[in-house]
Order: sequence, then structure tokens, then C-alpha cells
Amino acid sequence: MNAETIVGTSAQRVDVKDKATGQALYAADIQLPGMLYGKVVRCWEHAHARVVRLDLSQAAKSPGVVKVLGPADVTRNKYNSSVMDLMVSAQLHDMLGDIDDQDIFTTHVKYQGDAICGIIAKSEEAAERAAAKVIVEYEPLPVYLTAEASKQPDAVQFTPQKPGNRAFQLPEAMFPGNALGGGDVDAAMQDADIVVEDVFYVPKQKQCQMEPHAYIAKLDNAGRLTCWTSSQMPKLVQAKLAKLFELPMSRVKINATVIGGGFGARLGMISEPQACAMAMAVPGHPVKLQTLREEDWAISPSRHPGKYWMKIGLRKDGTPLACDARFENYKGAYYLDASGTAFTAGAWLGGMYKFPALRYKGESYFTNQGLTGAFRGYGNPQTNFALEQLIDRACAQVGADPVEWRKKWHKGVGDDGWCPGVTYPSCALDECLDRGAAAIDWAAKRRKYANQTGTKRRGVGCAVMNHTSGAMPMLLEHTVCTVKINEDATAEVVFACSDMGQGSHTALKQIAAETLGFPFGDVQLANPGSDAGFDIGAHASRTIYVGGAAVKAACEDAKRQLFARASEALQVPADQLDIRDKKIFAKSDPARSIDVESITRAGVYHFIDPMTGKPEGAPGQIQGYVSFFAPHNSPPFGASFAEVEVDTETGEVRVLELVNAHDIGRAINPAAVEGQLEGGIQQGLGFVLSEETYYDSQGRMLNNSFTDYKMFGPSDMPKIKTILVENADPVGPFGAKSVGESGLVSPVGAVANAIYHALGIQFMEAPITPEKVLKGINEKGLGGARERARAC
Amino acid sequence: MKDAAITLHINGEEHKLNVAVNRTLLEVLRDQLGMTETKYGCGTGECGACTVLVDDRAINSCLALAATMDGKRITTAAGFAHFGELNHIQQAFNDEAAIQCGYCTPGMIVKTASLLAKNPDPTEHEIRHALEGNICRCTGYEKIVKAVQKAARTAPGRTVKADAACQEVAQ
Repeated sequence: MNAETIVGTSAQRVDVKDKATGQALYAADIQLPGMLYGKVVRCWEHAHARVVRLDLSQAAKSPGVVKVLGPADVTRNKYNSSVMDLMVSAQLHDMLGDIDDQDIFTTHVKYQGDAICGIIAKSEEAAERAAAKVIVEYEPLPVYLTAEASKQPDAVQFTPQKPGNRAFQLPEAMFPGNALGGGDVDAAMQDADIVVEDVFYVPKQKQCQMEPHAYIAKLDNAGRLTCWTSSQMPKLVQAKLAKLFELPMSRVKINATVIGGGFGARLGMISEPQACAMAMAVPGHPVKLQTLREEDWAISPSRHPGKYWMKIGLRKDGTPLACDARFENYKGAYYLDASGTAFTAGAWLGGMYKFPALRYKGESYFTNQGLTGAFRGYGNPQTNFALEQLIDRACAQVGADPVEWRKKWHKGVGDDGWCPGVTYPSCALDECLDRGAAAIDWAAKRRKYANQTGTKRRGVGCAVMNHTSGAMPMLLEHTVCTVKINEDATAEVVFACSDMGQGSHTALKQIAAETLGFPFGDVQLANPGSDAGFDIGAHASRTIYVGGAAVKAACEDAKRQLFARASEALQVPADQLDIRDKKIFAKSDPARSIDVESITRAGVYHFIDPMTGKPEGAPGQIQGYVSFFAPHNSPPFGASFAEVEVDTETGEVRVLELVNAHDIGRAINPAAVEGQLEGGIQQGLGFVLSEETYYDSQGRMLNNSFTDYKMFGPSDMPKIKTILVENADPVGPFGAKSVGESGLVSPVGAVANAIYHALGIQFMEAPITPEKVLKGINEKGLGGARERARAC
Repeated sequence: MKDAAITLHINGEEHKLNVAVNRTLLEVLRDQLGMTETKYGCGTGECGACTVLVDDRAINSCLALAATMDGKRITTAAGFAHFGELNHIQQAFNDEAAIQCGYCTPGMIVKTASLLAKNPDPTEHEIRHALEGNICRCTGYEKIVKAVQKAARTAPGRTVKADAACQEVAQ
């Protein structure tokens, strides 16, 4: 039984009224006096070309235009819109080979939508009319859509810094043989009785956050550049912009706006450099830059697609011996996040099962598809699609039940997690598997669907996953939190980590109120953007695990100061005091108590008694503070179970039910946690069944719209069941681990395995569309489709 | 571009406006009137973030030219709340934790109002069908469907209102 009264409840979201009435201000909703409108002119005709002529003269004369900016009118400094370089040591940075290869306005177009020049006008319409008058002539270059194409020796080089267009591979100095893992994989494979192996393709999935990216930037009269942005990481964007424009950080300010969904799309920068470059050209005027949906699709990074080769070896009793894998991702046009996903895809692989020998190679190759970067899961769904299908294939060969095999061989407490040396402090994956299996009626349905012959065939499948809670030890894990106790005994928590919509600020407020012993309504949580202390932002599922621990530590600091003053007043040692409802009392004698307000008021309104000449109470406003570094990492685990029905005539896969059972440590706000797991299912189903941005042979997007890019809608969604397995983690705040990303990962493998169960066929390319299913059925000679085709 | 003089009755208030004939209702609401509760999500009628009621019918305001709306009664999500008091639909979205990033929420709430006006007791299937034009990327729709069900249960004077709505449809 937990003693907490606020943590563990589905407290009402702090932003609900603003959002229910539409009053929440997203960046595009903000209007400022004297505002001008920016428009980035982009290359839509080509995905790879050189600009041979740029004539802005007609655009400059267009009505309402204030300024036009070409590449020569803005800083020529290059940048990298990802923030990875800020989160690793200089030594690791050099080892990884991070580069700055992006320009505010380019002369070498590397993807459809690359920025050519900018227009600043008095209205958005005037800017658009002027944009149409920009004259650009291009020299088209060969278009490379895959790694196989761009790595050819005669291919045009994307940057001289990365020969062969290989943006990244695991560095030899850190990963001998350019491979992550350990043990003698080749020898272990020799010993294996069963070896399963395949090449998978994973798709270029788009975040499709509902709010298109929008910005306002202003250079004020004091020379301070302010940018209103919905970035997931205001402090790091401040640092990035300061570096790009060669300004001291004190002259760059980020205002964090309400975020209309992130899912990784807002990790780092997107068009902040263009918005700020425009603002710097018109000092004193705010410039608003809004992106159209189709533009947003082009310019914001997507998930890394690519080829994933994997091979696993087992003894005939099912004992896993070795796993050998190589993920070659199609990086897209620029370097950003080239190192991250190439590494983490292998890290999740290593964190999952007890393979004594593991060798994973990750490489990123430049291509002329749009950018890739962070997307919820960050390499994990790619690995899940390949690994979990191979596990089921191997289970079929050794005659093992997929649930039982996973229970036996997954890693757990004391084993290395995704990073060697950082062990799992908690693991309740067995319980996830047991409860998930019971929920979907696993054993009965596995038998029932074993030998079907009809047109519509059903199957059940399961998959498991591990993820992360913050990025320690790979990346910097640092959050500063300040808790100011007001004179009326209410608290303000100041913290620069964004709430992207997941409800993290509500949960953090619960943590603060619980720790302080204050009512929930007496705590405010503010994200003032870069004016707050340092923080690395909302990414890597860290906001509650790391941010929550920081909030808790800052509140404990404030509480310690309160108790010290109460101890003085009550003449009771501080360690014998407790707090409830803003009253501090002696544990042994609750009647000996003092109101928190009498302490805080005396601290702020600190007077000298004119009669005695002595001060009243202890002086000073109490502020809790922490500069917090995560001491560990407690990854969450999850198990998903899917039931599908495959129509062997149309190839359509209907997901009937999806169970997401997750070991989240402790749910600070259960309704919000469920929301993460439910929303994750929608995105995971999209990855495995329907979502991919397609390109024509010239690298132009074919489906950058919600009509042509198929996400699961309300009628497509299956019956959903989320199971919160609460097994308090010894490290996380109040036992909490993360949940932000993990929900979408294992539905991927579960659905693929359910299809395998239904048809006896595995599909190597995601998304598993009806066309691919039909093709697979026809190749295998299954079911009615082929017979009917013959009969016709 | 020519202007058109129109009158819109938005959330109970009359607005006499000159609007450029090429401006959509969404642009006029947001840019001309500063009523930013109606969101731009795609501009092509695919996502439903800009849903408003026009004389009780839910439309994508990004697809309607403002000049064609002369004399119409327009309701946005803000029009359902009264000085911070949420109506039963908004309250249900709150109670069921159906709001995450909130960007689709105003459109979802408006679409729910139009559904419940026509069909005060919808089945789950009918709710999901009605919301097909409104994309949410956060929730998986699970809690949104529950919120619509709760809104149907908690509608004030539900039977009376339902009868009136049915008669209106019949006429």
C-alpha cells in the first residue's frame, strides 16, 4: 500500500480548460504588434540539384514585401538541427563524427523542400505572392533514394566530410569491429542447431503531430533575439541558435509555447534558424513563420527507414546462442541524428534477450529522401519488427511457445540493459506477459487458430520490448529545477522541460505537491523556456524519470529548509518532523505543530519588532534548487498481444484486439499513462500495417497529406486493453519508470507475429500492406485468392 | 482582391465584416477576428482541426469561403464554454482524460456536438464513424470515444433536446 495521496491518482490535467475551449496558445495563435510574416521559398521540383541562378529582384518589388533574403544575406555558418552534439562530451563528439552540414538557405538542394531563400512581408499572402516571383534555375543531380545507390563510388558527395556518403557507422574506437555487443558470434553460430536469418525493410514513418510547425522570432532593441517555438527542448535550442548566430546565450531567449504533439518531430530545431535569420534582418519587428502541412511533412525529420539484416542462432532446446545484425538506414539529406538511431536500434536489441554473443552494426547513408531524425521509439520499432519475427520463427522451429520462450530468455534484474554496465534495477516483464496472455486468451486462441483453411483467418501474436528512461549514460542527463515557496505557503516549480501534450506537467505537479506535502492546487508549474535553468528537454522518455526526480529533489530541498525553521520553532529535531496539509508537526506528538504559512510569511515579510528590537522568525524566502544528474537508468518493459483477421482474398489485415501490458514501475497519473500506451498503439499499428512516406523515382513525395498517408482512424482502431504493471522501481521517483515512447514499439512485432500465426507467412517489409499480404499468399499458394485467380 | 461585406453570428455575437473574397472562414476567424481556438491542421479538409458549426452542421472551416457564409450562425469550441465553465462535452473530454496535446480537441468537441444533436444516443460504431474526419495522433481515440459516450449520457435535458433535433432532421 502506498502512503501517497496525490501521486498515483488521475489528477485533472493542468491545461484541460485551455485546451477544451481552444484558448491554449500554440505558436501560430500568437499575434504581436508590428508583426511581419515570413515565407521560406523551397525547392519543390528537385530532390537533388545545384542552384545555378537565384534572382530575387522581382520578388523584392512585389507589393507588401519588406525584405528578401538569399544565402548571402544570412550567416554562412553551418548548423546541425539535432542537439546530439550538445549532449555528448567533446571526446565522444569527435569519436562519433558529428558534423554541421545544414545551411539556412542552400545552393545545393539535397531533398525536396530544401530552403532556397526567404521573404519577409506585411502579410502572409503578400509573402506567398512574392515567393512565386523568385526565379531559381537548377542543375539537376542524380537522385539517390537508398543507401545502395548513394554509396556507389561515382555518386555525388553530400558533404566532403563524409566520404562515400556514409554519414555514420559505429566508431571503431568505441565499438571494436564497428560492432556493438560481445562474445564470439561466428563460433556461437557454428554451435547453433537452428539458425534463422532474413533481411527486413522498415518504413519512413512520419510523426504527423497535429500542429504544423510555426515560429515567431524577434530581435529587440536591446539586441536580444527571442524565438517563440514549440520545440521539445528550449534550452538546447537556445544554445544552438546562440552558436549559429554567434550571440552570447544571454542574448538568445526561447519562449516555449504550447506544443501540439511532438513524437520526436520537435526534437532540436526545424525552422528556428530561418525564422531567426529573418527576424535579424528586420530588428524591432516580430516575424511569424508558419508552415503548411505539406511543407511540414517535407522539412521535419521522419523515422529512419532502411534495410535491417538479422540472424539468430539457438540450440534445439531453444537456448539462444548468438545474434548477428546490421541496420543500414537511409539517413536522408543531412547528418542530424545519424549517430543516434544507428546506435540505439542495436542498443534495444542488446537489451532484450540473453544472447551470449551479439554483434550489431549500424550505419547511416545519405539519401535524397527527406530528413530523418527522432521519432518516438528512436530505432526501437525497427528492431522490434525484425527481432520479434525471427524469435517467433525460431520458436516455431524448436517447438517453443512464444510467450514461454520470451519469459525464459528475456533479460531482467541485474542483467545489462541497453548499455553495458548499466543493469536493470527492476523488471516485471513476466507479469506483463502473463497478464497480457490472459487478457487475450492466448493459449486457447493459439490452439484454435492453428489449422485454418477458410478465406478469413485469424491469428494471435505477442512481442516484447525494452526501452529507456532518459539517456544516461550515453548522453548528458541534466535538469535544473527551482521551487519557490511563496509567502502564502504555495509553491511555484520552474523547470524548462516541455509538456508535448502527454500530461507530464500534471504528473510533475503531482510529484511536487506530494513531496512538499502541499495540496495539488497550491502548486504551480511553469516552463518559462530558456529563462529557466538548464535542461536537455523532453526526449528519451526522460521527463518523469529524470525530470520528476529533479522536481522531487528540488522540493525536498525546500522541505528541508522548511523543516529546519520548524525545528527551531517547535524545538523538535527536523528528522522527527512530518508534514501534512501544510502543517509541520512532531511525529511523536502531532499536536506540536506549526503552519507552513507562518514560517513562509515570516521569512518574506521579515520585520524587526520595534518593541524588542529583535527579528520575528527566520529571514529569507525559501527556494528549493537542484542541478540534477540522473544516477541511473531504469528501462521500462512491455509486452503486446495482437489478434488479427487476415482476408486471404483481399490481403486486408484487420486488427481485432491489441493488449499493451507495460511494466512502468509506478503510474504517477494512471489516466495519463494509459493515454501514452493507447496512443502508442495507434502509431505502432501504423508502422506495421499502413504508414510510409513514398517517393517517386526523382525523390518527390507522393503522399505528404492525410488522405494519401494512411494513419489508423477511429474506425480502424481495434479493441484496446492497456495493463499497467506497477512494480515500483528502486531508483525512479515514487518508483516510476518511463512510458512516453514504449507503447508503440511492441505492437509492431505482435501484429507481425499474429499475421504469421494466421497465415504461416512472415513479411519482411513494413508496412505490411494488403498488396504485400496478397503477394505473400500467392507465393505460398495459400487460401482462396490464388485458386480463384486460376479459375478466372 | 475584392472584399465582400458579410455578417456572421459567431458564438452568439454579431460581426459585420469586410472579407477578401478569397479568404476561408478559418482565415477570417483566426487572422481577422483573432479567434484562434479554431486550428489549422492541413488546410485541405483532411484532419478536422478547423471544424466549426455552421447553423448546427459541422464543417471544415478551411474549405469554406468566408464570403459565402453571410448571415450564418457559426459556433466554435470556445462558444460552448461560458466564462470558463465548460459545457458537458468539454467536461466529458476532461473527465475521460481525452485531451493530450489538445490541438485536435476544439474540432473534436465541435464534431461531437453535431453528432449528439443529430443522434443523442450513438453506438460506439456510430461515434467512431462520426469522428472519421477528425484526426487525433495522441490518444488512439480510445478515451475520445469514451468522452463522447459520457457527453451523450450527461447532456442536459437530453430527451427534450433530442426530440427537437429529430424533428428538425425530419423536417
